[in-house]
Amino acid sequence: MTDDSHRFTSMYDECRQRVWAYVVSRAGRQVADEVVSETFAIAWRRLDDVPEPALPWLLGVARNVLRDNIRAETRREALNAELRAWTEGDVADQVTERLGVLRALAELPEDDREILILIAWQGLSPKDAALVVGCSAAAFRVRLHRARKRLKQAMEPTGRSRLRVKNLSEEWS
Amino acid sequence: MNPIDELRAARPAHLGDAPVDTRTRTRELSNAMSKPRSARLPRRGAARPLWSFGLVGAAAVTAVAVVAVAVSGSGGTPPRAPEPAPASTSTVRLSARDILLAAAEKADRQPAGTGAYWHTVSVRRTLFPAVGAGYLVMDRQRSEGWTPRATGGDQWGSAKPLGARPATAADEQAWKRAGSPAEIQVSVPGKSRPMTLSTTPGRTQTGHSPLTDGDKVFWLGRNVTMKDLLGLPSDSAELKAWLLRSYDGHDTESADEPMPADMWLFDVSVGLITDMPVTPQVRGAAFRMLAGLDTVDVIEGVTDAEGRQGSAVAIEEHTKGSGVVERRLIFDQATGRALGNESVVVKPGGRQTALPAGTVWSSQAVLEAGWTDHKPSS
Repeated sequence: MTDDSHRFTSMYDECRQRVWAYVVSRAGRQVADEVVSETFAIAWRRLDDVPEPALPWLLGVARNVLRDNIRAETRREALNAELRAWTEGDVADQVTERLGVLRALAELPEDDREILILIAWQGLSPKDAALVVGCSAAAFRVRLHRARKRLKQAMEPTGRSRLRVKNLSEEWS
Repeated sequence: MNPIDELRAARPAHLGDAPVDTRTRTRELSNAMSKPRSARLPRRGAARPLWSFGLVGAAAVTAVAVVAVAVSGSGGTPPRAPEPAPASTSTVRLSARDILLAAAEKADRQPAGTGAYWHTVSVRRTLFPAVGAGYLVMDRQRSEGWTPRATGGDQWGSAKPLGARPATAADEQAWKRAGSPAEIQVSVPGKSRPMTLSTTPGRTQTGHSPLTDGDKVFWLGRNVTMKDLLGLPSDSAELKAWLLRSYDGHDTESADEPMPADMWLFDVSVGLITDMPVTPQVRGAAFRMLAGLDTVDVIEGVTDAEGRQGSAVAIEEHTKGSGVVERRLIFDQATGRALGNESVVVKPGGRQTALPAGTVWSSQAVLEAGWTDHKPSS
């Protein structure tokens, strides 16, 4: 195996699931594999441009692929389906809190949701997350602050009423 | 609990870090890696990365398609005094078509040649700004490739860094004021960390690898086999139709970038004419096809990076939010053979504001392209 193939494969193994998770959280599972596949095809072609660590760069590419290849409407519908899958169905009591957070997340504008997901689920630093969304670190902090505030508001009990929960779905246990 | 922590705790488990299933992994890896690595497959005009054999990848780095024009601001060969500004007085609009048709006639009559390997030698030059030093550095690399006519064997490549040097006399003065460093830190657009270029020529590195998918050798709008290349139609309309079957409205490198059909055809034919193993008649057909594009110009009296005289067929590339770059294929009118290609700043903009119009920021000069029976020994 050449050095390039080796490096690429390691990068894939390290980052693939996180890129997939990001795409799912942006546009749902239906399009995720396709977008991930295209993202890594681009990464292979541009391997010499890929910085270390690769994840923020890969997420940025995935973001562009999503933006340019999946229509906003399709993206929204697919994501709504995804969010329903997360927040509907039978869920056990112990995850009520979790469910509330996910519902709150689902209610936020797409931009807020993206920012929060990069920080909370992808574990990126604000600086790296700013690279992904293509803004300055300072601007990102402001946006994060606002998104966090809106998430908190959406999580208040006065927000959308929580559904009755029963059983734990395998999906997100 | 702070909302971010709550959100973190609420992450659906399937979005966690469970390993990807083997089948998906195999499919995605092979999908990605079946595409030409820019390193191995010469493919496009010079406004975007043209790599040599990738053995010395960093030296050939430019940037990704999306930032291609931004790259212009920091790459390229120095302005050459005798060279006219692009698309200016020396543009011969009226006879562009005739010049290309004449080149096609010449190309048609070149000997076909034969051999077990298609052998190419080229020198790539790219401009980079020295970090915090206010001068431009030209990096140079010589690449050589041997592509087998038959499937089943490996393709071979070698790369030799020829050393970086200050781009112009003024740049050299600035470099000397900086203490004439043998290693120069340069910035690479799109990369946060600088790259180090050495002014000392490096050793030749030679390597070989199996053909992509077992038989793909070049990129011509898509990956193609030697059989595809040797069987291309020699009628210009048929050639155009053949090529356009791979065109779907966007950049050859990135689906992010819409690209007009003319630009795309230019991009693909530059690779074909420059250094691909096609018959002389197909090269002629490619010139005829270019002659039929309304958006191309011909510039006579162009000197290439190796100091050779030729004519250029050129097209302007406009990229949203940036300046304008002219892509040129330089050819010898007497033979219809390519001397190479280059990218010239036409309208500085965005990150290329530092480079005056007329600056060649990236070039590939072809020194040899032909059939041979010899390859490097392992």
